[in-house]
Formats: sequence, C-alpha cells, structure tokens
Amino acid sequence: MGEVIVITSGKGGVGKTTTTANIGIGLSLAGKKTIVIDTDLGLRNLDVVMGLENRIVYNLVDVISGGCRLKQALIRDQRYPELYLLPSAQTKDKSSISPEQMRKLLSEIKDEFDYILIDCPAGIEQGFKNAIAGAERSIVVTTPEVSAIRDADRIIGLLETSGIQKNELLINRIRVDMVRRGDMMTVEDVTEILAIDLLGVIPDDEQVVIATNQGEAVVGTDSLSGEAYERICRRILGEKVDIPDVCCPEGFLDRIKHLFSGK
Amino acid sequence: MRMPSVRIAKERVRNLLVTDRLQCTPGTADDLSRDIYRAVSKYIEIKPECFQVHITRSDIHIKYTGEKH
Repeated sequence: MGEVIVITSGKGGVGKTTTTANIGIGLSLAGKKTIVIDTDLGLRNLDVVMGLENRIVYNLVDVISGGCRLKQALIRDQRYPELYLLPSAQTKDKSSISPEQMRKLLSEIKDEFDYILIDCPAGIEQGFKNAIAGAERSIVVTTPEVSAIRDADRIIGLLETSGIQKNELLINRIRVDMVRRGDMMTVEDVTEILAIDLLGVIPDDEQVVIATNQGEAVVGTDSLSGEAYERICRRILGEKVDIPDVCCPEGFLDRIKHLFSGK
Repeated sequence: MRMPSVRIAKERVRNLLVTDRLQCTPGTADDLSRDIYRAVSKYIEIKPECFQVHITRSDIHIKYTGEKH
C-alpha cells in the first residue's frame, strides 16, 4: 500500500514544485515506484521543472472527469524507470475537481505505487483542499523568511485540523554566510517557531537554478542541494540520517583559526 | 554596529503567529495575557516577572515559577 504525501507551503515561490520533483526522482532512484501529481490547476509547473512539458497528452482533470484512463495520462521518464508524472490542466480552474474526487482517485491508485507525492498549489483555498484530501502525511516547505514562516504556521494549523498528524518541515534556501552574520534565521530558529519535526534542510544552491533551466533534477548529482535532497529521501524511506548543521563546518574551522591567531 | 536583522525578523514572526493563531488584532494577545495574569493572581501568589503566557497552534500555556526564598 502506497503512502500519500502532500508537499505544501502556503506561500508561493518557496520551492514546493522543485521539492516534489527532486524527492519524487530521489525515491524512484531508490527503486520505489513513485507517482508525482501536480494539483495546481491553471498553473501547471511540475512537468516543466521535470523537463517533460512536451510529452503531455491528458491531465489530472481528464482522469478525474473520466475523459481518459489513468494509464493514458501518466508520463514516463526514460531517465527514471520507476517514476510517473500525472500533470495538471493548464486551462481548467480550481473548481473543476473536488476533494472527494481526489480522495477517490488516490484510493484507486494507492495499491499501484510505493509513494504518491502531491504538489500542492500556493494558498489555502480550493486547490489546497483538493491537494490535501487523501494525504496521510505532509512536507511543509518554508524558507527562513518572516512571510514564508507565517504562512507555514497557518498551513500546519490547517493540516492538523484536517486530521493529518504527520507534518514535517523542510527548510529551503538556507544561506550559511547570512546565517553566520546574523542576517538569516537559523534552522533552529525556524524549527523552534513552527514546532514540528524537521525533515531536512536545503542550502541555497545555484545548481537548482541551473538544473531547473534544463528540466533536470539536482538529486543524484554531485551538489550540496542534490545531496541534501538525497538525505531527505532516505529519511522518508525510514533510514536514520543525520541532518548536518549547515553552519557548523566552517564555524568549527573559524574556531580553530581563532585559537591559533590568539583572538 | 548594525543590529543583526534576525532579531527583528524573529520578533516580527512571533508577533504575527500569535495574532494569526488567535485571529485577533496585534494588541489583543497582550490584553489576554494581562487578563489571565489577573485571574491567576486571584488564587495564586505570583509576580509578573515569574508569569508567562505562551500561545501555540492548539494550546495556551500558562507558566509560572512559584515563590523563591
């Protein structure tokens, strides 16, 4: 029986879609049959981030309305044999599907996959309600900024009220240099404020932009962000993997330097 | 020296979360804390500096440290 995980944030632009793509690909690379579902009706993005935008024939609304079978809408990626994408509709609006229909679809496909990842749209309206319907677990994506943390808190409250109890935090785009000079909240600050379990931390990495430009993932590549996503995937798979303190390595070196310079 | 902007950010986010969680205007949380303090002090001997109200997403925690000799 597959596990349904919704990737959500409240605020837009914090990295939900990039996270969905990279975790989906990471889990598939670990040999898990994984489907990623884009629920952002009208603003389809997940296919673009994954470089599969030219392959779309049918979409989520077609499947739900009975316009096609699930198999016809699913997009495979030759690079990742265990990965399936169910794209969103670019022309429909949020009211074309209901939470009830989402729940039904998920219960029908749950047995066929190990992991079902749902890419949630920004906001707390209909699209959010559709995306969390049928999810048993969530990944709340935030960046270390006031507005993103505020929205994340709101989202966590709504998830808890909806009966989703396993909600974990992913802090995206941490900049070590800024944290160190006191101009960006630390991982501890954000985790303490939001008071949920930390799933992982992704450093701000230009490789994410470069990869996304080309419709590729960072997971599986030799980059800081790629390695961070890989650790997150292993944690989702139940492995005990440490969350490295992003600010620690250089801090330690600094201390040694200070020791020798006598400052 | 410039004050690290993180301190301001943390204070702003904490205030925002309290007003969001209570769905109230910014001053209301302080009023609530003051009223809770008054109510508690009717029954327990407390000092303002030993009394704290903490508002989470689902609970309101009242913390007080008893008398110290």
